[in-house]
Amino acid sequence: MARRRSSTRRAGAGRRIPAGVALAVVLVIVAVVLIGTRAGRTPATEAVMQTGDEGAATAGRVATGPARAGESFFDRLFGGWNSAERIEQLEAENRELQAWRDLAQRLAERNRRYEALLRMPPDTFGEGADIENSIAAQLVLDSGGPFMRTLVANAGALHGVKVGYIAVNENGLVGRVVSVGQHSSRVLMLDDYNSRIPVMGESSRVRAVLAGQATRRPELSLYPYQLQAPRMDFVVGAQSLREGERVITSGDGGLYPRGISVGVARREGDGSWRVSLAASQQPIDFVRIIPFVPIDAPEETADPNATPPLGSSSSVAVIGRETMQAPPTAPSATPAPPRPRQTAQNQPPAQTPPQPQPQQETPPPAEPPATPPQ
Amino acid sequence: MSAFQVRAPSRSALRAWGLALAVLSVVLPALPLGPLFAQPPMPLAVLWAAYGWAAEDESGWRAPVTLALLGLLHDQLAGGPYGLFAGIYLSAYLAGRILAVLMSAPNLVSLWGGFIGTALFTIAVAYLLARLGLGPNISVMPYAEAAIITAIFFPVVRPLYMSSSPSLRPGARR
Repeated sequence: MARRRSSTRRAGAGRRIPAGVALAVVLVIVAVVLIGTRAGRTPATEAVMQTGDEGAATAGRVATGPARAGESFFDRLFGGWNSAERIEQLEAENRELQAWRDLAQRLAERNRRYEALLRMPPDTFGEGADIENSIAAQLVLDSGGPFMRTLVANAGALHGVKVGYIAVNENGLVGRVVSVGQHSSRVLMLDDYNSRIPVMGESSRVRAVLAGQATRRPELSLYPYQLQAPRMDFVVGAQSLREGERVITSGDGGLYPRGISVGVARREGDGSWRVSLAASQQPIDFVRIIPFVPIDAPEETADPNATPPLGSSSSVAVIGRETMQAPPTAPSATPAPPRPRQTAQNQPPAQTPPQPQPQQETPPPAEPPATPPQ
Repeated sequence: MSAFQVRAPSRSALRAWGLALAVLSVVLPALPLGPLFAQPPMPLAVLWAAYGWAAEDESGWRAPVTLALLGLLHDQLAGGPYGLFAGIYLSAYLAGRILAVLMSAPNLVSLWGGFIGTALFTIAVAYLLARLGLGPNISVMPYAEAAIITAIFFPVVRPLYMSSSPSLRPGARR
């Protein structure tokens, strides 16, 4: 860059403010305003970020294309050297897996019978998750920066991806789609600082919140897209959680389906719990983006004709009235005045619980005579 | 003998390489090339450029605009919000303007000290801006790690961004 001496003279002073400094100050102020308004992350400005993601994803595909092609070529080339040994290893693994499959089928059949006996609703992988219509996508960009932990996948709105869909790989949960463009989507990873996921231990049922921390673990830094180990906060019944226990999503809050594998619980030296993420067992290259429709609250799907609201005339409200009688009061010399009869005019609104009514109705007042007595 | 004599690269060629290195330090962490290309451990080369251009008295509009554009590109690739890295890089330029004058003795220790001060200043700026833009859960430790790595490697890449001569700006010690 050429050296310049351009400057602006400050009014009434002998010192000069260089134009570059003045411009830098103005740009810093603009940057702070952009940060304060969260430009690119609010619904109004998200389109700009999505457009940028589209271009970056395209550039990322082009830039990493030769590297990926070369990687697969060398994998094939060097994979042939020990192919016989690998075939033996895979055959042994296949025999072991067949035994596990038979066991799983027997257990699944028994489980189905138990569920039928108990009339349980079907509980498939990830309650609410539409596994059949999952979308496979390749990761083309990694935020790679010191603040955010996001990934950009090459599937967007044109492929059916929507905000809130779940990203998993073959081992477990990767994250959640937070932004969708036409051809790409951004996935917030589990170890991002702003990631909070309700989880639970698979066998102990201990509930916890998985908080991303993006702390570096050198022993796991051999692979690309390495996830970090999030911390478990607000562990309820932590004494029941066991080292090495499988951690799954609990489905609380409705953002994630229930039952997706997250990782394995690990206890740190200071007593805190972390999760070794299942998704980080292998490099994350491809993900499945699963449509997820959270289960509606019963109040949102209730039929007003079928179930009258509580507190008016439902059986539950009646039972509540019958079982929650007012405590007996001490007898007094003067009898209590009779309560007025419930009419349409003085009936309380439906939202307020009705007052306990006396069991016997008071007799109606005598009608006045049509003509005054003579 | 003279046929094998290698000419020293010109100042403009070194500057061009410095700019290319700064762009690569923004783009490479975004590509799925593995943890070695993440930040950290990859240095923030734009901080080198910001300090070097400030010390070389880049008083025109090109240095701040280039830094702002590199920052916006970094924000885009990192997922936002816009302005975070732009603010950090521009604050490094402004801090470099001051520290390059204060530490303008023509020796490596002085030049290095000025950059270390600039890097530490950007850590404080990153702490404030990241909390403003990304919420209170954000930790500045990964950025601090990257900034320290950047400061450690500064003497190696200094010729790409600034000469060893004292600062050219008025007020600098010569």
